[in-house]
Amino acid sequence: MKTNFFKLSILALVVAFSSCSNDDSNHTVALETKTVSNLNAPQTGGQGQPVGGAFTKFSFSQNAVVTDDSWDIAFRGTTIIVNGGDEIGITDEPTRTGVGAVSIVSSTLANVTTFPAAATFAQDGATTYAIPTGSGNGWYSYDQATNIISPIAGKVFVVKTHDGKYAKFEILSYYKDAPATPDATSLSRWFTFKFVYQPNSTTTF
Amino acid sequence: MLLNRYCCWLMISCSGAVFAQETKPVDSTKIETLDEVFVTATRTERQLSSLPLPTSIILSSDIIKAGVTKLNEILSEQTGIITVPDFGGGEGVQIQGMDSAYTLILVDGVPLIGRSAGTLDLYRISVGNIDRIEIVKGASSALYGSEALAGVINIITKRPKYDMFAGGISERFATFNTHDVNGNLIWKKKKFSGTFFTNYHSTDGYDFNDQPFIQTVEPNHDITVQPRFYYDFSDKLTLIAGLRFYKNEQDYKAIIEDENCEGKSDVDEWGAQFRLEHKWNSKIESEYEFYSTNYKAEEFLNNPEGQRFDDSFYNQWLFRPEIRTTFSINKDKLTTGVGVNHETLERTYFDNRITFDSQYFYVQYDYNPIDKLNILAGFRYDIHNQFQSQLSPKLAMNYKISPSISLKTSFGYGFKAPDFRQLYFDFTNSSVGYTVLGYNVAENRLDTFEVQGQLLSRVEGISFSDHLKPESSVNFNLGSLYQKGKLKMDVNAFYNSITNLIDTRVVAQKTNGQNVFSYFNINEIFTYGIEYNATYKFSSDFRVSFGYQYMVAKDKSVIKAIENGEVFARDPITLESFQLTKSDYFGLFNRSKHIANIKLYYSIPKIKTDVSLRVIYRSKFGLFDTNSNQILDIYDDFVNEYYIANLSLSKSFKDKITLQVGANNLFDFTNPREISNIPGRQVFGKLQFNF
Repeated sequence: MKTNFFKLSILALVVAFSSCSNDDSNHTVALETKTVSNLNAPQTGGQGQPVGGAFTKFSFSQNAVVTDDSWDIAFRGTTIIVNGGDEIGITDEPTRTGVGAVSIVSSTLANVTTFPAAATFAQDGATTYAIPTGSGNGWYSYDQATNIISPIAGKVFVVKTHDGKYAKFEILSYYKDAPATPDATSLSRWFTFKFVYQPNSTTTF
Repeated sequence: MLLNRYCCWLMISCSGAVFAQETKPVDSTKIETLDEVFVTATRTERQLSSLPLPTSIILSSDIIKAGVTKLNEILSEQTGIITVPDFGGGEGVQIQGMDSAYTLILVDGVPLIGRSAGTLDLYRISVGNIDRIEIVKGASSALYGSEALAGVINIITKRPKYDMFAGGISERFATFNTHDVNGNLIWKKKKFSGTFFTNYHSTDGYDFNDQPFIQTVEPNHDITVQPRFYYDFSDKLTLIAGLRFYKNEQDYKAIIEDENCEGKSDVDEWGAQFRLEHKWNSKIESEYEFYSTNYKAEEFLNNPEGQRFDDSFYNQWLFRPEIRTTFSINKDKLTTGVGVNHETLERTYFDNRITFDSQYFYVQYDYNPIDKLNILAGFRYDIHNQFQSQLSPKLAMNYKISPSISLKTSFGYGFKAPDFRQLYFDFTNSSVGYTVLGYNVAENRLDTFEVQGQLLSRVEGISFSDHLKPESSVNFNLGSLYQKGKLKMDVNAFYNSITNLIDTRVVAQKTNGQNVFSYFNINEIFTYGIEYNATYKFSSDFRVSFGYQYMVAKDKSVIKAIENGEVFARDPITLESFQLTKSDYFGLFNRSKHIANIKLYYSIPKIKTDVSLRVIYRSKFGLFDTNSNQILDIYDDFVNEYYIANLSLSKSFKDKITLQVGANNLFDFTNPREISNIPGRQVFGKLQFNF
């Protein structure tokens, strides 16, 4: 066990150093666009019943679902919250420990190259969602005829992470395996989104 | 008459127009050469060819040859008209690219009511007693007020002109176990004349979905009784009393939370029109008219245990006295009218009974300064208790360049008053939880919601202090008519600019995460296009006609948003967003750029046989946004173009009996997923007996 631990630490250090030196030597390195597929965001209730259930918390820097306070955004059904601000006042809401915020930009993911003005960033607050809920208000539109939730085209969310870094993301699908045309049989509350994380202290992606 | 789940349907149908041709055999050559009388454009009898407006007419002989039974079927074969299924379960017409809510439907000059969600269901009208259908395209509010924004369709029933007694009965049987039984009487004996029409129509409906419990169109049956009496007190005074009763019953089924619910949906309608026609002298004629009508719809749904799950009703009344006077001044005519509208509506989702009152008057001058020139100028003024007064002017001109060519142009204003629903709706969806509020009740209801703690937030800057404005349009037409020998052609270019279009907008968010919507004057749209018609008569027994319309309908705010780079679409493969350009914008939903028809009428007098073949074409159109930007762009999924062919053959025996066979939608076109109002092939046979 000990040997293993030591080896891993060495490895980690090497990686850390090498990436550091990379950054230092080359500032124009293109940031990687990553895709998160099938992030499950279940909820309980709905359809007139009180909505509840734990939020699925996501960290951009780790590109992973997390359970600790290092989350940046969290999902439950169609609701998306940020790790910043105050509690909205909904059931099973995680406490905000970070400085997160979000700015909604009408553009394509690739075309958002500079951070939006600080004034455009919003945090959650009592009865206020940084990403508004409801059809057509935030990230999705709901078709009453087909009951399909579609992410609105051209909505890019620039997120200030819990620790003050920046990421931008675009939601591609709300259905499992991101079908091009979801139908009544598609499983909902499975997010697929693309994001770019900017680990450096700069103002551009 | 609802189409399950979707709001649409068209029925197959079939009917017998009973006696039209037989009592006074009509020579088809004559029909062509006669200049038809047209009343809808001026409210006076006018020769069709000299009218300065875009008009068309459907004669009873063509309706009979087509062997159709309901108004939607015959209208769907006309150039520039598409019948479309719409919200609320009816099928209406699109004229010059405008929705069916913007076309006024009249029967013998008085309007039908019952637009529960905007569309007036054309299935309600049987064509068995129609003399002709007059269609005026373009804004016609200068004579007809609200709703006559895209045009007016006036259904004129038969009126006996000379002493006679005739009648007929017919039975028509068609696919989907559809029966249509007609009875017709027409008589005139000196001073007293009249018509009596009755129709029974039933069908098993049809099914496109794979749900065994519910059908696309559920079985239904309806009955129409339409007596109309005329009494001549003297040469100068005639009284007309026209009544109309209509009743429809349809099965109503729905699957709610996996439970099969069953119920019924009923429509009861009646109308009574009394008119006194008074000729003061050779120069002055007056018409005193009183019209009242009531449209009532009720439906309910029971769960499998037989308990009431849901019910709704809709009860609308209209009273309209109107006086019209026409002064003949040399070759010119001055028509004036004054009237009052009293309209009430009680319905589910309304707090109480709502009343609309309006007064109006209109003046129109039909002026012929020289033989070659006809000018139609007029206006109408509507005073309404719910919204600002409307002044609707109209100016039109027809110039005969030569005996065979005339030029016509018209300019007009049209409006549609906000309807009851847009002002007084109070509806909360029970399963999803969103709310729709009428403009006039929204403020109060929002306050109540707020007190009850149902509101999360209200959208800033929303105010209900000003009245909701009527939707209004400016319409321009420029056309030409060519008529020489065997060829008749007309062409008309049109442009409509519609402002203050009413649409829903989010006004608040509820604590359940859903929105509260209300109605606002939001959109500005425009439509433009060109319509072309040609008829060539090879002989008195054979004619071919062709019709075509090119049309573009777009939303101005969408064009602006695209110019500002604010509109995106989602790539179907990568699912990523990309920015749209102006040329990517297709236009409004459910609009086709091209529609066309070809019709062949052939008769063989020797064996008393008539053949008619009509083919209609509709180019591709989009029903929904499929790439998540709320607009229809060229990257969206489209409904494919289609052709429908309708064929009928009729043969007469000894002038008393006519046998007709045919097939509507001969080649069995269907698109079950996207077009629910076109069932497959419907074969029919009809036997008609006249006396």
